[in-house]
Amino acid sequence: MALRISKNMGAPQLATKSGYGRMATLLVVAAGVVALALPIAMPDPYFVHSCIVVLLFAYMATSWNFVCGYVGQLSIGHAMFAGVGGYATVLIFSRLGISPWLGMLVGGVLAAMLSVVVGYPTFRLKGPYFALTTIAFAEMIRIWVENTDTFLGIPLNGAAGITVPLVGESWVAFQFNGKTPYYYVILVMLVLALLATWRLERSKLGFYLKAIRGDRDAAEALGISPARYQLVALAISAFMTGVGGGFYAQFFRYVNADRLIGVEFSIDLALMSIIGGQGTVFGPLLGAVLLTPIAEITRGHLGGVLPGLHIVIYGIILILAVLYLPKGLIDPLRSILSRLSKNGRSA
Amino acid sequence: MDPLILGFAVVNGLLIGGIYGGVALGLSLIFGVLRVVNFAHGSLLMVGLYTAYWLQALAGIDPYASVIFTVPLLFCMGYFIQRVIIAPLIWRESALVVEPLSALLLTAGVYLVIDNLALMAFGPDVRSASTSLDMPPIMLGPIPVNMQRFIGFSAAILAAIGLVVWLRQTRMGRAIRATAQNRDAAALSGIDVPMIYAVTFGVGTALLGLFGSLLATFIPITPNVGLSFGIRSFIVVVLGGIGSIPGSILGGLVIGVFEAIASQFVPATSAAILSLGLFILILLVRPGGLMGKL
Amino acid sequence: MSGDGTPLLQVRGISKRFGGLQAVHDLSFDLRRGEILALLGPNGAGKTTAFNMIAGYFRTDQGRILFEGRDIAGRKPWDICRIGIARTFQLSKPFSDLTVAENLMVGGFVRRSEIDEIRAKALEIADFLGMGHQAATEVQHLTAFDRRKLELGRALSTEPKLLLMDEVVAGATPSEAQEMVELVRRIRDRGVTILIVEHVMKVIMALSERVIVMESGRLIANGKPKDVVRQPEVLKAYFGEGYAARA
Ligand SMILES: Nc1ncnc2c1ncn2[C@@H]1O[C@H](COP(=O)(O)OP(=O)(O)O)[C@@H](O)[C@H]1O
Ligand SMILES: [Mg+2]
Repeated sequence: MALRISKNMGAPQLATKSGYGRMATLLVVAAGVVALALPIAMPDPYFVHSCIVVLLFAYMATSWNFVCGYVGQLSIGHAMFAGVGGYATVLIFSRLGISPWLGMLVGGVLAAMLSVVVGYPTFRLKGPYFALTTIAFAEMIRIWVENTDTFLGIPLNGAAGITVPLVGESWVAFQFNGKTPYYYVILVMLVLALLATWRLERSKLGFYLKAIRGDRDAAEALGISPARYQLVALAISAFMTGVGGGFYAQFFRYVNADRLIGVEFSIDLALMSIIGGQGTVFGPLLGAVLLTPIAEITRGHLGGVLPGLHIVIYGIILILAVLYLPKGLIDPLRSILSRLSKNGRSA
Repeated sequence: MDPLILGFAVVNGLLIGGIYGGVALGLSLIFGVLRVVNFAHGSLLMVGLYTAYWLQALAGIDPYASVIFTVPLLFCMGYFIQRVIIAPLIWRESALVVEPLSALLLTAGVYLVIDNLALMAFGPDVRSASTSLDMPPIMLGPIPVNMQRFIGFSAAILAAIGLVVWLRQTRMGRAIRATAQNRDAAALSGIDVPMIYAVTFGVGTALLGLFGSLLATFIPITPNVGLSFGIRSFIVVVLGGIGSIPGSILGGLVIGVFEAIASQFVPATSAAILSLGLFILILLVRPGGLMGKL
Repeated sequence: MSGDGTPLLQVRGISKRFGGLQAVHDLSFDLRRGEILALLGPNGAGKTTAFNMIAGYFRTDQGRILFEGRDIAGRKPWDICRIGIARTFQLSKPFSDLTVAENLMVGGFVRRSEIDEIRAKALEIADFLGMGHQAATEVQHLTAFDRRKLELGRALSTEPKLLLMDEVVAGATPSEAQEMVELVRRIRDRGVTILIVEHVMKVIMALSERVIVMESGRLIANGKPKDVVRQPEVLKAYFGEGYAARA
């Protein structure tokens, strides 16, 4: 991919990297074609449903990675942004009759605003302290929503959650009878999120975040105000996550605090990014594509018998990844790709 | 506010707070020595609770007697987690410090595994153990004091004192403190650091075995009961000063009384929200905690 | 080659206290445009503290720091960088998971916005450092000395008017030190004014026209290197009472 070429510019490396780049581009294009054709080739609704869930997690993990992966901080509270987006979308539609498409954007903006409030004080904290504080913020919001039936006249329905009022098939209301439209919507969202990350890698903001991750003091000496750039990235990430929460609400037609704002959802996003490879464009996607099906399969086949099995598997993979593949699964994949392209040339 | 009700709330808050402090002791010890935030802390308490429950349900062993099983079991679990899961990380990092985030992620993995294994094994049902011992409340003037809580509270205080004495007076304790101060210097002076780490982790979790048994009679036992205890332990430890044993108890008492009094004025859930807010505030304003050295 | 005489930096009576310790006490000196000024002093003299106050990392308790006539005391490090003062760290702090070229690109964004231009500039600096062939190497694979050079290059990437360097030859071999001295000269020849903090005197003799010496937070000497090293206060600070008496 162009991004790799641009990042590595020693002359001898350039040759192999562009071979690698061509290879990677090919892979991305192939994956894109498969993704576009999938619901047409395999229209089984259960299958498409599962694919949507995979793409949704990929999108959410990519959003998480946008700030956390690049700045090297672990947020275990990103679900609060999804929650704000999801609740806002549903409420704006059911109370004001405004289209969820707009509601999702409003939800995203609200999530971004919340992220500034949360991020401004917390980004000074490092490592586990930051992580624990993000949990604390998200838990405060979850507990509050779970125990609040109405707030300023707005019905939140406490632990029961809110369902999306159904109006039948309608583009404006973002409601479809089949699964396929949802599939393409989330696919487009994912592609946009990946593009945003790709842009980030070669932008000032991306360089600044990586510098802050590398060494905060040194970053400051190079003209970077860590608080400012971390907040900008966090707000973008929260916006993306909030919009994702809006999609979640429309797709499942239901939001509740436990699922959408709970710690588990936050951990899922972090875990997929970390296992796939945080701080890279495709790592979180890879993590989601590998992990989400485990959940879908165990839930589908063993869900009644063994409710937590997929999370046990996630946990084990997380431990193994932290110990043996700290840069994520994408790291060995990259070296395989570049070896392949080298061999291809010498043959 | 009726002074009697307030008095009752304070006494109850102290009892519960002492228990919070006792539960948090291990978290503080492990962080103080290994610099590892054990995200699975609450999960291991949950294991202690279930062990006490099943010992009673299957073998008829009273929860208070089950201590002789839960404490060694949890010690072994902690020892194993350190030796098998966390140690490779510590030795991989050649530098002086463990990357604290990696350690947090590892223990988060342990949390996911343990909690969901429990869910798979026991289902989501709420369980509770009961003791056959007859324990009427004792009266503190006009205020009735729940005996089971009082036992938990006393155990917390004794455990904290025991821990301090052990760390000061025994060879092992001194080795642990030396390792906490400077791992490499300790290793140079002949201390078996990997063993010290594993023992420290084991002792920290053994305390959870103790409280698992002592709390089993009055805490509703579910597979996910751990997380809320874990988060509360983080609050307590941060409040009291990370790594400080007396701070852990003090932090527990503060949180316990704070929640008990707050819930006289606002719903209990708002009290929980307030203590999370307090946690954030302490981290931001005084990251060393009330008794921290920072 | 001792500058055109207009002061670029004027330090006016800055002080810093850490608890009971007066780390810097009423320190004043001038830095002329285009010169290499060395700030000397034994360990613990307060050099790094003074340095950090100029670079915006520590607040001054009192005093003013004028850069091109404007008071910059109390400004944040990133603002100081934008104004045109770059610094290195005594312990080098590279971005270890980035490549050499990427390390050299980060600072470029304060002056330019075109990424291709920034990259070209970074490669030019890599060549200047003699590290062109390592542009795509991740920093974690570099030697300690190469990291130190990179640290210098990273400071240059912000295109500063004034470069503050903290102990750049500490721990270097004689030939590395020689290379570093050469680099510093060439940086000055590019029009950058330099304040270099060192406690190794030998390096400084070869490098700077003028030195100032600190001891226990105070300025004790100011002048040409060969004159300064003869002053009894300086000898005493460096070698103790006995040496000064013998000399
Ligand atoms: N952040 C700090 N907090 C407390 N004391 C400090 C701090 N930085 C430096 N000092 C003390 O200030 C004195 C001067 O230190 P420093 O400026 O680093 O000296 P130098 O760079 O000349 O060796 C030393 O005694 C040092 O211990
Ligand atoms: Mg110094």
